[in-house]
Amino acid sequence: MNNKIFAGPQFSRRGVLGAGLGMLALGTDGGRAAAATPVRIECDAGQNELPFQWQASALEAKYGLTPDLVSLPFVGQYEKLVTDLTSRSDAYDVLVFPPYFLGDFQALGFLRELDPYFSLLDPQLADYLPVYRDPVIKRNGKTYALMFDGDLLQVCYRTDLFNDPKEKAAFKQKYGQDLAVPTTWADFMKVAAFFHRPPDLYGTAFYAARGFCYAWFVNIFAGLGGRWFDAKMNPGINSDTGYRALSLLVEMKKYAPPNILQIDYPTLNQVFLDGSTAIVVQWDDLPLKCENPQMSKVVGKSGFAPCPQRSYMPYSRVMAVSAFSKNPEDAYKLAAHMQLPDVGITYVYDPECGEDPYRESYLKASAVKNHLGKPTMSEAAAANYVDAIRGGLKAGYPELSIPGAPRYIDILDLYVNQALAGSLSPKAALDACAGEWANITAAEGQDRIAAAYADWVDSFHKVGLVY
Amino acid sequence: MVPALAIFAANAIFPLLYALDVSVRNYQLLIPVPPQFIGLENYARILSDPLFWSSLKVTLWFIAGVVFLQLPASLGLALLFDSLPRWAGIGVTILLVPTIIAPSVVGFQWAQIYNYQFGPLNYLLGLAGLGHPVWTASPTLALPSLVAIDFWEWTPFMVLLLFAGLRSLPADILEAARVDGSSYPKIFLRIMLPLLRPVIGIALVLRVLMSFKTFDIIYILTAGGPGAATENLAYYTYIQGFRYFNLGYASALAIIQLIVVAILAKALIGLTRKPSFAGAA
Repeated sequence: MNNKIFAGPQFSRRGVLGAGLGMLALGTDGGRAAAATPVRIECDAGQNELPFQWQASALEAKYGLTPDLVSLPFVGQYEKLVTDLTSRSDAYDVLVFPPYFLGDFQALGFLRELDPYFSLLDPQLADYLPVYRDPVIKRNGKTYALMFDGDLLQVCYRTDLFNDPKEKAAFKQKYGQDLAVPTTWADFMKVAAFFHRPPDLYGTAFYAARGFCYAWFVNIFAGLGGRWFDAKMNPGINSDTGYRALSLLVEMKKYAPPNILQIDYPTLNQVFLDGSTAIVVQWDDLPLKCENPQMSKVVGKSGFAPCPQRSYMPYSRVMAVSAFSKNPEDAYKLAAHMQLPDVGITYVYDPECGEDPYRESYLKASAVKNHLGKPTMSEAAAANYVDAIRGGLKAGYPELSIPGAPRYIDILDLYVNQALAGSLSPKAALDACAGEWANITAAEGQDRIAAAYADWVDSFHKVGLVY
Repeated sequence: MVPALAIFAANAIFPLLYALDVSVRNYQLLIPVPPQFIGLENYARILSDPLFWSSLKVTLWFIAGVVFLQLPASLGLALLFDSLPRWAGIGVTILLVPTIIAPSVVGFQWAQIYNYQFGPLNYLLGLAGLGHPVWTASPTLALPSLVAIDFWEWTPFMVLLLFAGLRSLPADILEAARVDGSSYPKIFLRIMLPLLRPVIGIALVLRVLMSFKTFDIIYILTAGGPGAATENLAYYTYIQGFRYFNLGYASALAIIQLIVVAILAKALIGLTRKPSFAGAA
């Protein structure tokens, strides 16, 4: 029967079948690029997500993976992660977080052990700087994370001021010693006092707002020989060393801008980059910004050095695979790719993101380039910067990373901030903090925590670190 | 009736009873030990916790700022709008703008305003030769800075309530008082204010309860600092419950807050009693 109801063209069965098969083939071939497997990466929102975006096409081309970023606020990241992972949520495949979460996360079973996945993609850990290799990414000899960002506190100072003949002569006259980059905290205070000429120039500044002010205390505490705990988990902070360190930090406020208690990471960057401060201790991504003309008024006028005596390593970032991820192999491949020697080098020196070096092969001046391969500093500045990192990591003081570390650290931050605010003396603050630490240790289990701490300290000794 | 009771029980009664149960246990989410009954140990610890007392003090100072600043200001503005009926509609509408902004946006907005170096407030004060206060970086100015934000954000809400109350006052009584030759201050103090008392009471109850649980602006602007200068009970409970995951302790803090709020609300609800006038028929 020839039904001519429709005026349009008549299709044969063969034609329809052929067209259908063609569309199927086209869909399969054309969609192969679009069929990349999404890997959900949790990361704190902002600049630290950029490396994943920069590597998106490489990840798709090499492994058929596409990064699906899940941004969490920087403040509140721990709470959000614990809430999600406690409920065994599979919302994340790769977790990006600071190593001081690792003790809790590993103990609570939130993370997969990564060693069995090494055969999929060799992470090349031999190239890791020793301080990151065992103390940061391993627990009980097993690997639970890979590096993404190797934070370190570093001194940034104004070379134009330090090299000025008049300033040098005046400093020598006042203190009877040469004006030089300080290698002790006593000298740091002299330099800060000498250059404190408000409102045009402040001697120094530091992170004094609640959240991370503890790190600037620990930086001094470490330099004076302090230790987090002894072998029996008695706190080391409420000691003469601790009181002296916190007293120094409180005194440092005198040489800082008036809004010192408001100064956080971006503000600390800003007060140095705008030329209003002579010397600061800041995370080691500041030098990259110092030499970026779009961000800095002190291009060519800044020098970098390790912190006096010891450099604290607060925060950092590692990548781990969630224990509840439905595609752990893809998650591992993505994380492992991001930290390969030839991949990490593209972002650890880029001023747009906040990541810092963690491999030996990164510590050369010629490597200081942005993700497009363009040098981010002059050769001289790059050499100075890399030397400062190497010098700092030689005597690096790792951040506490045992079960309960977020609570120990948060309590310490509160009491350091109370001392900075003047509501408690340094001694009263640290004594109160030590009392709270004892409560945390008791709640966590004295023996369990002591064993975890001993294992963590042992990992430093294995890589030749002094602790 | 039964469905309503069931919903009420599910949303109010059960959580309250569960919180009571958790508050008498050493329930720490991050420690792999089953929670055990510990009686009133959490409550005893709270009473000896200096951070609890300082956060309670911060909370009560914050509420005092709300009551003593917002109430007279709101009443004054409501009276002003009542005396200018032609402009009342547009005036109250414009005044309500801060109230409809999301609290977190308010926090970020005021962080910019209070910025020591680049904030417009210090710029204007500098032009007037009044210096550059450090606002939220000062242990003494931080809490008043937050009270000021709360004043800006929620005074319009009180104005709205009080204005509605003024509009509903019996016109014949006020007219009779005017005809009798009473002055406006006398009419206000002897007639309007007593008649307005229930509305003032409700406005105060609502504002006190809202101020008690202020969290957003503290979280965004100060994180409870400098030191613990702006750490109120709500923020302290958040830290204990959602940062340290010390659920037993946080639940005990919440129960204590419930008791404090109940006492405050009971005292204020007494204000909502209608006045009785001597010689009234």
